[in-house]
Amino acid sequence: MAELLRLAGYSAVGLTIPTGLTRNRITLLRAVFREAGLETALRVDLTSTSRIELLRLLRRFRNSYDVVAVKCVNTRVATVACRDRRVDLIFFDPANRSIRFTHPLANLLRGAIEFNLVSALLNETKAEVFSVIMKQCAIAREHKVRVVLSSGCNHPELVRSASQIAALASAMGLSEMQSLAGVSSTPFSIIERNSARRSPQFVEEGVRIVLPKVR
Amino acid sequence: MSKRYLLVKVVSERPISRDQFGSAVIDSVRRNFGEIGLCRIDPRVVRYDGAESRAIVACRAGAASELQAAVTLISEASGTPIVPLVVGVSGTIKALGKRRSR
Repeated sequence: MAELLRLAGYSAVGLTIPTGLTRNRITLLRAVFREAGLETALRVDLTSTSRIELLRLLRRFRNSYDVVAVKCVNTRVATVACRDRRVDLIFFDPANRSIRFTHPLANLLRGAIEFNLVSALLNETKAEVFSVIMKQCAIAREHKVRVVLSSGCNHPELVRSASQIAALASAMGLSEMQSLAGVSSTPFSIIERNSARRSPQFVEEGVRIVLPKVR
Repeated sequence: MSKRYLLVKVVSERPISRDQFGSAVIDSVRRNFGEIGLCRIDPRVVRYDGAESRAIVACRAGAASELQAAVTLISEASGTPIVPLVVGVSGTIKALGKRRSR
């Protein structure tokens, strides 16, 4: 899979890591991708059915990962995830009919919304999924929210190049600018901001310790 | 009418013929954009290198993004699972040839 990603033209990938994985296993996993010439960013997907539990999970995992994504399973969780600045990405399961990305959520969103396009569109109930994603894309476009596009691949057969994912998002109704930013500048800025946050010099947003130059 | 050319790397366990790949592209365009979309995009496999598993697919100039989306949604050709990776898009075959030799 790492070689296929390299062949597709990627230089960095986001790895979704289960929360229970040991540090040694994570190091080994990163080494596999580094050998193929790929940088890695660690990402965790948080799923919760209540806002209290989500806040607890965010307290616990925020500082351990480069990217924190929240799967929105109900409106309460989605509202908290959209408001909370510790959340980088939110995403919705297109098959889940009880929750959708709506205009009020788009107004609240501080992070970015993620669309797992390839994995969602290569499954069986394609027409339904197309329809859901197109509606979400239309809302994202209208509110100019930040969008992150990913293949969501967990199998080598789902690997596609970044330009393909951007083209698919354009076909789904996102603007060309949003689509291209969704595979390049937006994810990069999230990782850059979080790595700055995790550095020892960071105090708070816009404030960091500057050490005097030694002469 | 001006055209755009897509350089596609086809990754598969078994070798795929030009006809098999061509019909997979046309099927995907028809399935996702319909007959009118197929006429508008007008996809055509102009070169196919079976040894290197690379194809050059032509389409109308304004439809390169749609063809790319349709190629993305291909998951098999004649029952064989494939991974089509669009490596480059250009206005001339010559420029794609240069990209291929890099």
